[in-house]
Amino acid sequence: MAALSDFINLYLLPGLVVGCIYALGAIGISLLFGILRFAHFAHGDMMTLGAYLAIIFTASLGWSPYAALPIAVVGTAIVALALDRAFYKPFRRSAGIVTVIASFGVMLMLRSAIQLIWGVDVKTYDIGIRFPMEFGMLKIAPRQVTIVLVTAALVVALHLFLSRTRLGKAMRAVSDDPDLARVSGINVEQVVRWTWIIGAGLAAAGGVFIGIQTKVHPNMGWDLLLPLFAAAVLGGIGRPYGAVAGGLAIGLCQELATYPWFSDQPFVAPGYKPAVAFSVMVIMLIWRPTGLFRGRVF
Amino acid sequence: MDIFSAGFLNYLIALGTMSGIYAVLCLGLNLQWGFAGLFNAGIAAFFAIGAYAAAILTTPESPNHLGGFGLPVVAAWPVAMLLSGALAWAIGRICLKVQGDYLAMATIGIAEVIRLVIKNEEWLTAGTRGISNIARPFEALPTPWNALAFLGLVAALVAGIYWAAERAWASPWGRALRAIRDSDVAAAAIGKDVTQFRLEAFVLGAMVMALAGALSAHYFKFLGTTATEPMMVTFLVWVMLIVGGSGNNRGAILGAALIWVIWSATELLTNRLPGEWITRTSYIRVLLIGLLLQIVLQRFGKGLLPERPPRMIDDRPKSG
Amino acid sequence: MSLLQIQKLVAGYGAVDILNGVDIAVEPGKISVIVGPNGAGKSTAMKALFGLAQVREGRVLFQGDDVTRLPADKLVARGIAYVPQERNVFRSLSVRENLEMGAFLKPGDIARRIEAVLALFPPLREKLKQAAGELSGGQRQMVAMGRALMLEPRLLMLDEPTAGLSPLYMDQIFDRIVAINQSGVGVLLVEQNAKQALAIGHLGYVLATGRNRFTDSAANLLANREVAESFLGG
Ligand SMILES: Nc1ncnc2c1ncn2[C@@H]1O[C@H](COP(=O)(O)OP(=O)(O)O)[C@@H](O)[C@H]1O
Ligand SMILES: [Mg+2]
Repeated sequence: MAALSDFINLYLLPGLVVGCIYALGAIGISLLFGILRFAHFAHGDMMTLGAYLAIIFTASLGWSPYAALPIAVVGTAIVALALDRAFYKPFRRSAGIVTVIASFGVMLMLRSAIQLIWGVDVKTYDIGIRFPMEFGMLKIAPRQVTIVLVTAALVVALHLFLSRTRLGKAMRAVSDDPDLARVSGINVEQVVRWTWIIGAGLAAAGGVFIGIQTKVHPNMGWDLLLPLFAAAVLGGIGRPYGAVAGGLAIGLCQELATYPWFSDQPFVAPGYKPAVAFSVMVIMLIWRPTGLFRGRVF
Repeated sequence: MDIFSAGFLNYLIALGTMSGIYAVLCLGLNLQWGFAGLFNAGIAAFFAIGAYAAAILTTPESPNHLGGFGLPVVAAWPVAMLLSGALAWAIGRICLKVQGDYLAMATIGIAEVIRLVIKNEEWLTAGTRGISNIARPFEALPTPWNALAFLGLVAALVAGIYWAAERAWASPWGRALRAIRDSDVAAAAIGKDVTQFRLEAFVLGAMVMALAGALSAHYFKFLGTTATEPMMVTFLVWVMLIVGGSGNNRGAILGAALIWVIWSATELLTNRLPGEWITRTSYIRVLLIGLLLQIVLQRFGKGLLPERPPRMIDDRPKSG
Repeated sequence: MSLLQIQKLVAGYGAVDILNGVDIAVEPGKISVIVGPNGAGKSTAMKALFGLAQVREGRVLFQGDDVTRLPADKLVARGIAYVPQERNVFRSLSVRENLEMGAFLKPGDIARRIEAVLALFPPLREKLKQAAGELSGGQRQMVAMGRALMLEPRLLMLDEPTAGLSPLYMDQIFDRIVAINQSGVGVLLVEQNAKQALAIGHLGYVLATGRNRFTDSAANLLANREVAESFLGG
């Protein structure tokens, strides 16, 4: 067994950071499922897009990725609105699974567009070397603190939006019962637009965080898809708060599973981290398909 | 270009063989999606299981991977299909009781896990080095008869699966599946065991996909991690089925052939471009394939050959 | 001019027609009552107005304007409020939020309108923060009607508001419908409790198998022996 400080610095904290990133992606998947009733397969690629949009500003203008983040968020939200208009809106009245196929196609198109524009090489944001802050035995990198704090702020903002604003309440209403929302006079298309803006915006933020934390490559959206779905299922798909908890749980599970719990070898080989997410998903589907948080839809 | 040259003949044979392998995959997906409305986003998993099982079982003993066991093809293929069917059964048991989207998410997961196993478990699959020296049936024959004979084998399998699938489509089993696909509530109300029917379609489809995997392993004589590439296996097959016409077995075959010809013909064209452009155009091709899928979904939702009710059963008067 | 006129309405689901040419009218400030056996198509008539069933033929006029196939939010904006038969509250939203959703199209001055609804349904006052799904059937019906009243509609469409309620709640709901009507709101009421409904109504319609069987003043329908025997339970 490694020392406690290693456990915290090398497994717990990274798990928390990855969990925040998953949470940001899973919120969108959950919101979109609640409002449009389909599993959005291109969501991982929205995160990729956000990460690459930030690169435009970090690479050519030398901006800090934190400064580029808001622009990446806005840009991704605009692209999401356009994609919805072109490829999802025609299927609003069809069975949800047809929209899933359409999102499959969008995933393909987004990824190849990214490869076309930015190439296939791994890229990083140049943030220079920053030394970790030390608190006793804790070693925390500034970027870890930023990622966790910004994610927390975004989740609080989402909560305030959903619970305090007219549009946020309408979003919960549509998620609860779309037909009743329509006959109540709620402008469902307006709600759908805001769902895309929020879902894609948060995904973009998560994508930029991935770039800040590690690196950016065109296939990362595909790699993210499994943990994102697992997080959404864990939290009860259609429930954004559940998605936050699910994202954190999946991130922590993935990292902690590689800790040498029972011998001096990692309990789960690092190469199998996505399999941890899959196992959690399968266990949830067997044990409790409605997710951990039953009850309220939002 | 001399169109009668041996090179061109070989090209045509290769085109036909690959179209045939994709047609098998498409027929498998049609069993799942066209017949039963089951969304499988992990075709690559079942394809890979078939491919690796066939490769490991038929290759001679090798230090690089498990086995090989040097079995004949006729013994290996059924095992490959059974393994894939067993995996599908396990996944289906878990997911088919709940909504369709869960199956979609779980199949993505299973494909990812299978991909990880292939990459990481070198003792089993030889990892990124891949399995080589896989025997191809008829390869002892002189050229081009060896390739032609393999093409004939693939074509015969396509024909056989087509025939069986058409039978199934017209049978009470197929009718029950369609009823479930169109309204599981109504089908359950008339006493159908919805989950059981879905499970059967899912397992059968996965077994057919495994056969396609086995065929492709023998055809290429080499099997590496690219066999589970989601783009080339899962996506392309979905595009083929949607374009050809889901719910129509002929549509599945037509879609496979058509999309494969477009795919490889455009590759031929773009390969004549200058170096830097070759990689770029390969992304444009994927982009256009994605766009094609969207256009077909929106404008010709039923595909080139739309689903039609089987003749023998449909004696009711048509309405609308 | 009638407040609402449904003319020769043919409507249904998918390929199936449920209504085969139905005429219904509501006069301004009056109550029209639709009764009829289960499956007659009463709910379908209301759903067709709001696009939840497909309209194939016929017209819907509201205050003389053709509103056939208008999107739901446009109908609401014109002053038609609708309380469906089932699933008529947002179960996971609080009572207050349910009422606010009723006012989505006119967000200003919500407090005053919530007060007006609470004056009509005093039991809701204590439940404002509770999730609507946790309320009893009668209170849920009050929330549903309150939500519909938030935009101060000209026409209120109620689909079996007393279904499944205890007699005590039933009387309360009928009493409230009369109160709402007396404030000048036209009401289109579908009811299983046909006698009680016709007793408060002005015009009455008997629907059976997707057609008008009887149309008369509510009082005349109540007095009609044939109607009483076949449709009002003797
Ligand atoms: N969503 C629907 N899809 C298909 N058929 C429906 C639907 N809703 C109702 N029906 C059918 O329409 C007919 C009329 O139903 P409805 O209008 O609800 O009757 P009522 O309200 O008079 O009891 C019934 O036969 C019912 O089965
Ligand atoms: Mg009814």
